[in-house]
Amino acid sequence: MRLPQFTYHSPDTLEGVLALLDEHRDNAGVLAGGTDLLVRMKHRLAVPKVLVSLKHLDTLSYIKETSEMVSIGAKTPIIDVIRSNRVQQQAPALGQACERIGAVSIQHFRGTIGGNILQDNRCIHYNQSQFHRTGRQPCHKDGGKICYAREEADRCNSTCQSDGAAALMALGAQLNLCSSKGERQVSLDAFYTTDGIHPFDMQPDELLTRIDIPIVPGAVSVYQRLSFRSAIDYPIVCAGVRLVPDPDDAGCIKSARIVVGAMGRSPLFLAKVSQSLAGKRFDDIAAVAQAGKDAMNTAAAFAAHNAGAALPYRQAMVETMVIRALELAAAQASMKIAR
Amino acid sequence: MQTIDITLTVNDQQQTLPVKSNDTLLEVIRDYLDLTGSKEGCGEGVCGSCTVLLDGHPVRACLTLALEADGCAVTTVEGLADEDTLSPLQQSFIDHGAVQCGFCTPGMLISAKALLDENPSPDRQKLRQALSGNICRCTGYAKIVDAVAHAARPESGCPDCHTKDSGGDHD
Ligand SMILES: Cc1cc2nc3c(=O)[nH]c(=O)nc-3n(C[C@H](O)[C@H](O)[C@H](O)COP(=O)(O)OP(=O)(O)OC[C@H]3O[C@@H](n4cnc5c(N)ncnc54)[C@H](O)[C@@H]3O)c2cc1C
Ligand code: SF4
Repeated sequence: MRLPQFTYHSPDTLEGVLALLDEHRDNAGVLAGGTDLLVRMKHRLAVPKVLVSLKHLDTLSYIKETSEMVSIGAKTPIIDVIRSNRVQQQAPALGQACERIGAVSIQHFRGTIGGNILQDNRCIHYNQSQFHRTGRQPCHKDGGKICYAREEADRCNSTCQSDGAAALMALGAQLNLCSSKGERQVSLDAFYTTDGIHPFDMQPDELLTRIDIPIVPGAVSVYQRLSFRSAIDYPIVCAGVRLVPDPDDAGCIKSARIVVGAMGRSPLFLAKVSQSLAGKRFDDIAAVAQAGKDAMNTAAAFAAHNAGAALPYRQAMVETMVIRALELAAAQASMKIAR
Repeated sequence: MQTIDITLTVNDQQQTLPVKSNDTLLEVIRDYLDLTGSKEGCGEGVCGSCTVLLDGHPVRACLTLALEADGCAVTTVEGLADEDTLSPLQQSFIDHGAVQCGFCTPGMLISAKALLDENPSPDRQKLRQALSGNICRCTGYAKIVDAVAHAARPESGCPDCHTKDSGGDHD
């Protein structure tokens, strides 16, 4: 499968990249590992006239830690995130998510954490070859006026299947975006539009440079995911949770963040369900079971039938993923107390 | 159309060649250098038959721009044998009947080499994980896993081998 034609640039500096993005805006594509973008280009789902490669921007590849946060450069390869002691200690859910992305020989060495978050939303009706798509009317995301995933939908419901984004949202991560005009910080919670065609609240001249994960003393985090095959396939449901113990009573949950992924246009932070666990004990099985049910009922409405498995199955599995993640997190919290 | 010179060290031989911006590393390896061992299966990163080592790490050559590989060392399946002598890993594939149609074999060998270079004695779980990005439609994987396990520990014989009794790799 040939790639379409484009002009290639690989600037040596961040300023050089930003200047090109500013100049070419919607005509430009950022090339990190290329494991998402190049597939879409082969399918002619993306046809940027100019590719701006981050190849020489090694300054965006790092994992640093201060007393308040772990910071990860956007170009950091997935393998470095998996192997990082800092991530394992301070943000284990992210390490678990990255380990599950695709397969070693697809992304671990070429895929980047920035590209993982910013991979386009997916849909089995859309992410197909050009030949396949010519056999039927275009859908909203392909420039048409219909949706194959949800009948009568007036907009696109493509699914965010990023493993990293769901884990990072559970960890309360912030993104740092740079353009030639300056930089800004946005929390991952507030980074998504509700438009499956343009899922990110980001300008074409902006580059993701850094991801900051707050360090919360005593917090435990877990990521769980379901896919057809354990490797290669994208998640069809996933859950990330972070539980923070009460400093005055380590057996008690002070606050929780429950995020369900691959069930909507963005990872879903379930604020109410999360709130329901505040003040509960880690070993409160009934509260965990209820949270699983509530998560399922809340997330179910967001999903469209476009990730392969039957929609009712994915909806039912939300409960399982959330309960598993919460139970594993609670077990980790009690191990921490025992230590 | 933009043409740029790149330098690649392919199987220990350094070469400079002009590539188009939209050439993939796989196209350069197969069509310019005539190294047709690496295969194009799906062309979209799923199957793994185009896997090569880029600076020692396994990557999909179909999802790597040739321009991105400029200055890198590339190892393809043709680089595994020493002249006419197959590497122990290749020989083990033959001895274990790990090759049927052979289409996935170049990618399997490269993923296996990447693993063994980094971890000379992986357990079976690690081994299966390292090969999990490579799809085989013939063998049921059992004999491939056996072949790599044996290449990793030739002295231990084949205690876990499925080759004699066979069936699928159910562990
Ligand atoms: C077979 C297969 C299986 C896969 N399985 C999974 C999976 O299980 N889970 C999963 O999450 N993903 C999966 N992926 C998708 C993808 O490989 C990964 O998400 C990978 O981490 C993407 O990173 P990349 O650096 O290769 O992204 P790229 O393709 O380089 O970039 C992705 C998008 O982000 C933009 N971009 C990248 N970096 C920046 C930046 N710093 N600033 C602004 N824009 C940027 C690019 O322009 C592009 O639009 C799979 C892909 C394939 C081909
Ligand atoms: S959700 Fe509907 S509009 Fe969006 S990509 Fe799928 S079929 Fe197209």
